[in-house]
Amino acid sequence: MTARANPVGILRAGRLPPSLVMGGIVVALLVALALLGPWIAPYPFDQFNVRARFSPPDAQHWFGTDEFGRDVLSRVLVGARYSLLIGFGASALSLVLGVPLGLVAAYRRDVGGELIMRAVDVMISVPPILLGLLILAVTPPDIWKTILAVGIVYVPIMTRITRSVALGLLAEDFVQAARARGESAFYILFGEILPNAWPPIIVETSLRVTFAILLGSALSFLGLGAQPPMSEWGLMIAQSRPFIEQAPWIGLAPGIVLCILLVSVNLVGEGLREALDPRFAERGSP
Amino acid sequence: MTAAPILAVEGLSVSYATARGRLAALDDVSFAIPRGRSLGLVGESGSGKSTVILALLGLLGAGARTGARSAVFMGGDLLGKEAPNRRGDRIGVVFQDPGAVLNPALTVGLQVAEPLMVHRGLARGAALERAAALLGEVGIHRPAEMARAYPHQLSGGMKQRALIAMALSCEPDLLLLDEPTTALDVTVEAQILDLLQAERERRGLSILFVSHNLGIVERLCDELAVLYAGRIVEQGPTAAIFRQPRHPYTKGLLGALPRLDRDRALRLVPIPGGLPDLTRPPPGCNFEARCPFAVAGCAAPQALQPQPDTVRVRCHRSRELEGKAWPVESASPAQARRAAGEPILEADRLSKTFPLGGILSRLRFEGGLPRLGPPAAVRAVDAVSIAVRSGQVLGVVGESGSGKSTLARLVLRLLEADGGALSYRKRPVARVPDRGFRRHAQIVFQNPESSLNPRKRVSQILARPLALFGVAGGRDLAARIDRLLELVRLPASYRDRYPHQLSGGEKQRVSIARAMASEPEVLVCDEAVSALDVSVQAAILNLFADLRDELGVAYLFISHDISVIAHLADRVAVMYGGALVEEGALTEVLRPPYHPYTEALLSAVPMVGSRERAAQRVRLPAEAAAPGAGCRFAPRCPRRIGTICDAVPPPAHEPAPGHRIACHLPLDQLAALAPALGGMESSHPPG
Repeated sequence: MTARANPVGILRAGRLPPSLVMGGIVVALLVALALLGPWIAPYPFDQFNVRARFSPPDAQHWFGTDEFGRDVLSRVLVGARYSLLIGFGASALSLVLGVPLGLVAAYRRDVGGELIMRAVDVMISVPPILLGLLILAVTPPDIWKTILAVGIVYVPIMTRITRSVALGLLAEDFVQAARARGESAFYILFGEILPNAWPPIIVETSLRVTFAILLGSALSFLGLGAQPPMSEWGLMIAQSRPFIEQAPWIGLAPGIVLCILLVSVNLVGEGLREALDPRFAERGSP
Repeated sequence: MTAAPILAVEGLSVSYATARGRLAALDDVSFAIPRGRSLGLVGESGSGKSTVILALLGLLGAGARTGARSAVFMGGDLLGKEAPNRRGDRIGVVFQDPGAVLNPALTVGLQVAEPLMVHRGLARGAALERAAALLGEVGIHRPAEMARAYPHQLSGGMKQRALIAMALSCEPDLLLLDEPTTALDVTVEAQILDLLQAERERRGLSILFVSHNLGIVERLCDELAVLYAGRIVEQGPTAAIFRQPRHPYTKGLLGALPRLDRDRALRLVPIPGGLPDLTRPPPGCNFEARCPFAVAGCAAPQALQPQPDTVRVRCHRSRELEGKAWPVESASPAQARRAAGEPILEADRLSKTFPLGGILSRLRFEGGLPRLGPPAAVRAVDAVSIAVRSGQVLGVVGESGSGKSTLARLVLRLLEADGGALSYRKRPVARVPDRGFRRHAQIVFQNPESSLNPRKRVSQILARPLALFGVAGGRDLAARIDRLLELVRLPASYRDRYPHQLSGGEKQRVSIARAMASEPEVLVCDEAVSALDVSVQAAILNLFADLRDELGVAYLFISHDISVIAHLADRVAVMYGGALVEEGALTEVLRPPYHPYTEALLSAVPMVGSRERAAQRVRLPAEAAAPGAGCRFAPRCPRRIGTICDAVPPPAHEPAPGHRIACHLPLDQLAALAPALGGMESSHPPG
């Protein structure tokens, strides 16, 4: 009875997997902080305070200050927007490009499919930083270019995963039945295959989010991403390295936030996978 | 009943821990095997028959709890501490899938020799020598050579022979056989059964034979135990049970079997419903919910009660029901079968060759220069011509690798043919067929697990073809889906279910409903009942027969099981090695003159009540050289004339209009072949 009332089917409130709810709340909180960052930060993110250099966390500076006396909490808050944008943006880009490519490569067992996979092999064989450099070096840095560069670096991985999952599914009889109805390749790939291919893709994407943030910061470190004094988590971690013994909190604060993001995004991925599985509805009910 | 039994099990119970509580897989199972005798354990999937074997071997996982009042094997406790050694030494086991049991990285000889080294302490060299001798004993040619081969170099039947050699290596007293022939072709199955019978007589082996196939059990077993949902419901001498089944479940099982020796107008017995929930086993008869004879008293606990003929039955009504057959609803009184009309789907010399290996595998070096060799290829379908006529069922029978599934895909243009023509209602079908063809030619597959998209509800699955072909839309759609569910005898409430909420038989019904949604004229059924239990298979076969009679659908019905084909088909095409060897009306194909391969196929079919047939059974050699340009069956043919068979394609005899046999033997010799079915008279009343 609920099927017609709710086209999404299993995504019913109260039936959601707990991991999805918990992870979703934390991710939403982080996103909210990132959006409000510049306004709720206690100090301007780039305000020097030479007298308060390397001050450990206290009532005034909750996360302490860095080597220029800048408030670490403010920098984490302001940098969140940039980091999350790279993380989610690049993952979304690799998803949007990589998944259809993988589906097509699996479906076309001819020269076309072969071409896609060999191009993917070439891209995988180039070190990611170098690939990012190729895209960024020729023009002045900008955040959307970093997203583009990082996103493209992860396209081959998405393509490969999607293709291997789709290859298995294409051999299933329900696909043969669709072909016997004369269904188009588009319908078979997106109507029959993709709904079954989501689980591994979702898990992979949730991992990619944090990798993308770190790769983005590596590019920043090389001078190709966010530029000082601009704040960004990966950049903060990278720049805290010389002071790791003297003032570990400088790198610790963004590191912990990154960890929280990683865990909660993975929880969301895990939960999403369960929520999309028709079998979950049964397991969830008493 | 002479000496003490070799194996006596009293009150064996096994339960598994599951999320919903403990599942009682076996409940108070008792049996005894006298020395040198054989016991058959039959039941459908989920009955617990494999659990018996695993429990005897102590191979159940950590979640299983095994208990028995006593389990005595050759005077010692089988479930105790020192049991493992006794088992390995004195008990041999053969499992179902020979491909999965042999380690692909070790030679066959070493694997056969291993038990000898472990249990007999033989040195490696001596053990390997003995292994080669054993391989010879189980009928493998060139045993020394084969002992050095790896499993992938052996055919399925040879692997099973090697496994039997392994099971026999320590000269066991008891042989446990868990569906040893289920994964094999019927002619190979016949050889393996012959081998088991011979070894049994030669070595005085005792056998516990687990199978779902009643025909095989009858051939090999003295005693029979019928297992249902973890309980033995009927137990006694095989012959007595087959002559007079007493438990309703046994009656149902025997009636569900499509039989070559029975009038095919009879409907098969479908046993409705499914296994009871074994986490809450019913205290009374566990078959009550599915039993047509159930009365109020059935809810009380039932005991195995002795009957005449030393049979014991777990049914309190067995005396009253004596001789009563399972009630079968008569076929729907639809219009009389239409006479076969004009051909709808015609294939003219369709061929398909699959290339083997990529371009690199063709690369050869001759005199230091790279050369491209000729492409290796396997001819899966070789110039096959068939015609499916309206309202008619054309059965295609053949063993694995005969090309029948490829043929199914060729006639639907799911695979592109290399040669030949396909026409639908006298018009050629294009390489990419039009909507009309797609709509009117549909397919049902073998595996119900793979046939339905697990992420879609039944209503979505059925709505797609309806909308795609414009059969129904908008408001009609829901009503139409309900009608389709009704057509395949499923309740309308199933529309909201996902495939995992359906049983195997129900999934197959949804597949059929999906195929029927576009109102096809031809339905291709590719082994559509092969993955189902006998009782479910019977229901689906009845459904196919009804659809044929009510809607006049024509079928191309493909199966490896000639009993199934004989039950449903009007015409039969016999395939071997990608080619048609015989085609004709069902009654013509089932009796001489027929092709030597048809003869072998028919005589190998396990049939209930046909023990006496064993003597005259045609036996095919296991190994076969690659066929030449001539008859594909020539290398295995027991009636091969000479080199003409290998070199020259056989001519087609036509003993009757529409009956073709491709064979070099003259027609009068083919006509003189002995009837493989023993004359077709039914000497056994249907259960």
